[in-house]
Amino acid sequence: MIKLEDVTKIYPDGTKAVDDVTLEIEKGEFCVLLGPSGCGKTTSLKMINRLISLSQGKIYVDGRDVYQMDVNQLRRSMGYAIQEIGLFPHMTVEQNVTTVPRLLGWSKARCRERTAELLDLVGLSPPETFMRRFPNELSGGQKQRVGVARCLGADPPILLMDEPFGAIDPITRERLQDEFLRIQDEIRKTIAFVTHDIHEAVKMGDTIALMRDGILVQHAPPAEMLAHPKDSFVEDFVGSDRALKALQLMRVRDVMDETPPKVRIDESLETARGRMQELGVNFLAVVNEDERFEGWVNRRVLRRSGEQVKDVMMRYTVTGRRDTPVNEALSLMLGSAIGNLGVVDRRDKLIGVVTFRSLSEAIQASYSEDEDPDEAHAERETAA
Amino acid sequence: MKRYLPMLVALGGMVGLTIWMTNIGQVGFFPLAAPSKLLREVMRHLQIVVYAAALAIGVGLPLGFVLTRRAFRFVSPILVGLTNMGQTLPTLAFIGIFAVVLGLGLQAAVIALAVYALLPIVRNTYAGIRSVDPATKEAARGMGMSTAQIVWKVELPLAMPVIMAGIRTSTVLNVGTAAVAGMIGAGGLGEIIMSGLAMRVTEMVLQGAAPTAGLAIALDAVLGTAEQWLTPRGMKPATEMVFRG
Ligand SMILES: Nc1ncnc2c1ncn2[C@@H]1O[C@H](COP(=O)(O)OP(=O)(O)OP(=O)(O)O)[C@@H](O)[C@H]1O
Ligand SMILES: [Mg+2]
Repeated sequence: MIKLEDVTKIYPDGTKAVDDVTLEIEKGEFCVLLGPSGCGKTTSLKMINRLISLSQGKIYVDGRDVYQMDVNQLRRSMGYAIQEIGLFPHMTVEQNVTTVPRLLGWSKARCRERTAELLDLVGLSPPETFMRRFPNELSGGQKQRVGVARCLGADPPILLMDEPFGAIDPITRERLQDEFLRIQDEIRKTIAFVTHDIHEAVKMGDTIALMRDGILVQHAPPAEMLAHPKDSFVEDFVGSDRALKALQLMRVRDVMDETPPKVRIDESLETARGRMQELGVNFLAVVNEDERFEGWVNRRVLRRSGEQVKDVMMRYTVTGRRDTPVNEALSLMLGSAIGNLGVVDRRDKLIGVVTFRSLSEAIQASYSEDEDPDEAHAERETAA
Repeated sequence: MKRYLPMLVALGGMVGLTIWMTNIGQVGFFPLAAPSKLLREVMRHLQIVVYAAALAIGVGLPLGFVLTRRAFRFVSPILVGLTNMGQTLPTLAFIGIFAVVLGLGLQAAVIALAVYALLPIVRNTYAGIRSVDPATKEAARGMGMSTAQIVWKVELPLAMPVIMAGIRTSTVLNVGTAAVAGMIGAGGLGEIIMSGLAMRVTEMVLQGAAPTAGLAIALDAVLGTAEQWLTPRGMKPATEMVFRG
């Protein structure tokens, strides 16, 4: 979809900002351009929509050389969000968001409809209120959302985004990232996304293109980059806690025990003790008649006096879902006395349990899998 | 409304003073200007100012704009120097020079005043357009606006408040400067003031000076309103937004 071929940029003062970069971003791929400040990320991005000219090489979009296309046509076919947001201060939110649609000659009604749709999508509701506002009547986070909405304006198949969440506090940033991932799930754009935040890159990217001093060092999916940094620079950049970062890429469903030892809330303590003995475990998950998760029992609480499990059990409301990231699950487990995490579905029905043991087994397994990267990864490495 | 009050009081005062003086009719041997003559000179005065402003805007705006284009930016230091020099030149000397070159009369006055008003307009147009945030322009370019679209839809609207401020100050200042034009036979209220001074009739001087001041006040209010009106809501200071709801 987007292809950079031996692209070099030398600024008039002799700075070699981008040095012989070859990079292919496939259709529907979310590619994060990552690297330390001044490594040439912005320059690379702006060469795609011709805001910066190439010194050498070629850039193709959809197989066509961008220099064979009409420059304004090219730009209107790609959403563009700049790092500084750059909203038009003299235009309403609606006018800002529909900049490209209006250039393309959409009707008023269609623009209005599209604005409402986009503001809803980026979580600015009710749209009728925000539509009429001017940028100076918005908070920083809201501006950034409008920037993202404007970038999606005419529903372009390609998005170029330069640190679109750069100037935002960590909490709002996290929320915007989540929202954007949700949006991307629905709309599947081809995205080139610049950041210098490794966490953001790992969280958002299908692939990460890591640059240093204008050179593309490694282009690989986050998991692969974390597991197999190509050289010491990549290793340093992803950080010594890369194993922990990798946890954020795994989901609870990958590590949970789907047939956990359990006991019903109205069964006797005797039964519970017997089952523990029989299964050779030192805890049981407690469920009610409808299989809803209620809490835990272990050997210690079973020594207390009582008749039924519900008289002695430890009640826990902290649970995970199938798609909870493993790093969050781990943090919940470390914070709970039992050291396990119940996994429930939408109706609170117990569907599995994460234990330290199941976790470490799953991680071991994933590492040995990664020793043998599949063909797609191998291909990318040679491309990089 | 409140902020128009001082202006209205001052304007009322000037109009009142004018009417009062005109009603005196005659001081000693000297007849003051008749109402019809006064009105004619007011119109003439306004005419000089408006013609000069139109000329200055017509030349200054495009000139200021062209100076912001990359190819012409090297001229801008010259512009700054010229602006400073233009403001140190005494009005009287300036108009005198034009009168010598172009002959006495309306034409010389209008051109002299236009040149006088030109520099603030050029300077403000230049500054206004240069002050547009490069990020905003880059966003416009990156989304596929053509150069002409960027000029008309982004640069000019955003520079408009500063441009208007330049037009306003220079035009209002010219109401006063235009009084000097009376000396080179262009007519206007300056003529009445001049006669009054020559004959040492204070009433006549006031009869010419009060409407001049009134004209300046009124013009300032009109242009101030236009400035407000041309400033997009998104660019007004936040405090004003509060009053406007
Ligand atoms: N117009 C320019 N003229 C000369 N050098 C430039 C110009 N723009 C950028 N550079 C240089 O090119 C290099 C790459 O710049 P670029 O803006 O692409 O970095 P970046 O990776 O986006 O950095 P950051 O994360 O700080 O935004 C830097 O060394 C920078 O100083
Ligand atoms: Mg950058």
